[in-house]
Amino acid sequence: MNDEGKKAMKDNFLVALAGQQNAGKSTTYNMVTGANQHVANYPGVTVDKKVGSYHEGKTRYEVVDLPGTYSLTSFSLEERVSREFLLEEKPDVVVNVMDATCLRRSLYFTFQVLEMNFPVTVALNMMDVAESQGLSIDLKELTSRLGVDVVATVGRKGKGKQALKAAIRKAVNQESYTRPVVIDYGDLEVHVKALEEELASDASLGVLYPLRWLAIKLLENDSEARNIVGTKHASGKSIVEDALSRRMEFEDETGVNTSDYIVACRDRVAGEIVDACVTKEADSGPPISERIDHWVLNRALAPFFLLATVYLIYELSIVQGYELTKYTWPFLAKFRDIVAGILPPAGLIEDSLLRSMALWMVDSANTLLNYVPIFLILFALIAILEDSGYMARIAFILDRVFHSFGLHGQSTLPFILGGVFAGGCAVPGIMSTKGIPDERSRLATILTVPFMNCLAKIPLYTLLVNIYFADHKSWAMFFISTITIIMALIIAKILTTTVLKGRETAPFIMEMPNYHAPTVFGVVQRALERTWEYIKKVGSIVVAVSLCVFSLLQFPGLTDERMDYYETEMSKAVATYDSKVAGNGYVNLATGEKMLPLLNLYDDYKRARMNTSGKEGAARVDRSFKNANPDTFVLIKPRGDKSAKVVNRALRKLSSERKTLRRKIKEEKIKTSFFGMIGRSLEPVTKYAGFDWKVNIALISSFAARESSVATMGVLYQQGADDNQTLEQRMGNESESSGMNSLHALAVLLFFALYPPCLAATIMVKVQTGSYKWMAFAIFFPTAVGFGVASSVFMLGTALGASGIAMMKGFYGVALAVALLIALVHKISSDKVAASYEYQPSNQ
Amino acid sequence: MKNIIAKIVVVAGLIVLSATAALAHSPLCSCFDNGDGTVLCEGGFSDGSSASGVKIYVRGDSGAVILKGAMNENSEFEFNKPAGHYTVTFDGGEGHSIEIDGSDIVE
Repeated sequence: MNDEGKKAMKDNFLVALAGQQNAGKSTTYNMVTGANQHVANYPGVTVDKKVGSYHEGKTRYEVVDLPGTYSLTSFSLEERVSREFLLEEKPDVVVNVMDATCLRRSLYFTFQVLEMNFPVTVALNMMDVAESQGLSIDLKELTSRLGVDVVATVGRKGKGKQALKAAIRKAVNQESYTRPVVIDYGDLEVHVKALEEELASDASLGVLYPLRWLAIKLLENDSEARNIVGTKHASGKSIVEDALSRRMEFEDETGVNTSDYIVACRDRVAGEIVDACVTKEADSGPPISERIDHWVLNRALAPFFLLATVYLIYELSIVQGYELTKYTWPFLAKFRDIVAGILPPAGLIEDSLLRSMALWMVDSANTLLNYVPIFLILFALIAILEDSGYMARIAFILDRVFHSFGLHGQSTLPFILGGVFAGGCAVPGIMSTKGIPDERSRLATILTVPFMNCLAKIPLYTLLVNIYFADHKSWAMFFISTITIIMALIIAKILTTTVLKGRETAPFIMEMPNYHAPTVFGVVQRALERTWEYIKKVGSIVVAVSLCVFSLLQFPGLTDERMDYYETEMSKAVATYDSKVAGNGYVNLATGEKMLPLLNLYDDYKRARMNTSGKEGAARVDRSFKNANPDTFVLIKPRGDKSAKVVNRALRKLSSERKTLRRKIKEEKIKTSFFGMIGRSLEPVTKYAGFDWKVNIALISSFAARESSVATMGVLYQQGADDNQTLEQRMGNESESSGMNSLHALAVLLFFALYPPCLAATIMVKVQTGSYKWMAFAIFFPTAVGFGVASSVFMLGTALGASGIAMMKGFYGVALAVALLIALVHKISSDKVAASYEYQPSNQ
Repeated sequence: MKNIIAKIVVVAGLIVLSATAALAHSPLCSCFDNGDGTVLCEGGFSDGSSASGVKIYVRGDSGAVILKGAMNENSEFEFNKPAGHYTVTFDGGEGHSIEIDGSDIVE
């Protein structure tokens, strides 16, 4: 059988879609594959892998959308992922999506793919935009110059779909290619040829990699290429050294940096092609994007546009998203009810392990699933920002500020969603770090977003400020609002210069993509895709993490003695109930074995009512409970039936007693649990920060038990409390006797501000970093930092005899000074780098 | 100089933004008429957090607060049913409170 026959028999082709960001790769991908696609991650990394397919007759074309990259060096994670995919999977054809409005820049990428010897088809996208800018492109000339097929497309409108598919079909079936453009590297050619020959001495390497490409990469001093040659070629080490000496030799001779020279050669060819193929109408004026940028990137107006955008995202996703959860929550609650119904019924004061564990897991998952409406809106908005081209501009506007601290321009959005000043949530904040291109900034952002003031922290702040800083309320709130961002910046700097030092970082490319209107399909699809991915990951991780936390809280549990005590208390309450119901017409339905099911029914009913809203919802719940329990419903809702009312009143009292006892058992369980033991055993250490064991447990359990901090504090400070007092008064009373003062409060405030993220946020850290190691780090590192800061402030304050407010001001001053110093040092050093960098003009 | 002004604008704007705060979990609350002249309200949050300490306002026909208190340790609040029309507000945080109309609170 000849080769052609073999090709024809192949019925599954791999098509790689590659190109620069914002060239319309996603719209082209959607156009070709339609709805038949799915997203995963590339193995081992958190970069999206989009795979779709389409059929032509019996032939299947599998399309992989590679991450958008400007080049194929080994700089960023995305670039490496793309390159490794091409080298290892060896696609049958690479479809290079180019932006017709900036051909010259796009060609740079094309050349690299051609050098790697892949069959290439070019989709020249955004032809409509190019036309509107007065550009006309000679496709025939471009095709013959490049030596590969060029198809004009408008991905947004689905134009050019059939032509592109035809070109793909032709490319995969073609045996030999019209020789594509080869870049002449001039004076460097001798070295390229010599290296190529050396590389050819090991025959096996040539099968795996294009040798000319490897030779050029060696001359560019590319680390991956060095690695490939060094490990896979018999005399690899000497070739790498030879390449290095040739590089030096060339630089000595010409006085030009080799890498710059290579870039200049490519640029020269790109320039020639553009000159030959593109004609521009003389009077077309500046392109639309430039005209928009004139306003949007205007020095005075840019901050306003940015703020307006941020405000809109915040308002629509966080504020309106939470509004939506009021409608979606009942579904999750319903799901919990179904699970609760399947499980063994609730015991009188203690549930079976199976029931409490399963419900704990459902509750943990529900907490995270409650974010789904927020994420749908958020991801849609992010997709709009990305597609329109404004996201790149946000990064541009703020990159300078953030860059000083090792963060990225795109860290803006995560910080804002995390609650820069007050109100927000770390979970969507961490989730939105996905777009940050370089790994170092992305990890630094993930790890510092939880420092922001999410709303769960606000009640404790308010509580402590009202008690201890009542005279300086506004100053104290300002302190809390701003210290967190200052600390986040400082800590980001510390992280990026220490643990994250070796992480991938990408140069910030300041090239602004053109503005274009996003498509509804693209936006909706991406929002659904990312939300679904979130749901899938939550499902798997919640099981692991929540089981751990459950065990730490549940065990070793109460002693038999204590349980006996609670059981006796409960029996007393049941006895009182029995005596009240005795002689009642409903006694047979309400006592003895019937009592516990009735009590559970009453509690279920109340829970169901709480999860609905409005008159109709209430009526619906009533109907369904009445239908399910025709005999006993009257005891839940007596409505004028006198003897039922008596039972109901007794039942309410009993339910309330049971609730109190269960709550007390839970609190005692937390205190005696492994978590509680940690809290107690930490007292000798935490006393340096002024925390007693109560505060320790409150802080630990507010992480683990998802009880809001105020409730936990309230519970711990309730002993001996007078019912008519407010929590503030109670804490005030308690602390007077325990000697707590404003300095203690400041220590708690600071610790809380730098405190580890909540359970949900830690799970998100796992989702976004893909590693439990980082999740553990995200718990322990802030604990250490928070404790270090809190205890230093507390001890220094005690030693100086300073008040809380004085220390607050002092600490603020120090932190602000450190942050400014970091920014200043960075500016000086980057100015130095800029001064030492001399631009090498290409010697054309 | 322009750069500094721009930064100040950003910071000032973000402070203004902070006025709108959101909850990290959905608030839940329901009230029942006990049929003996008292009303029982029960609250909580979707993430399982207790509503203990959350403020409760009962407003009369004119909109004036006639009763205020806070959820107890069991996340409950009981009060004497006012005469005439009234509303109950579960104040779970800025802009995220729940208001229940007295006419929806039935026996």
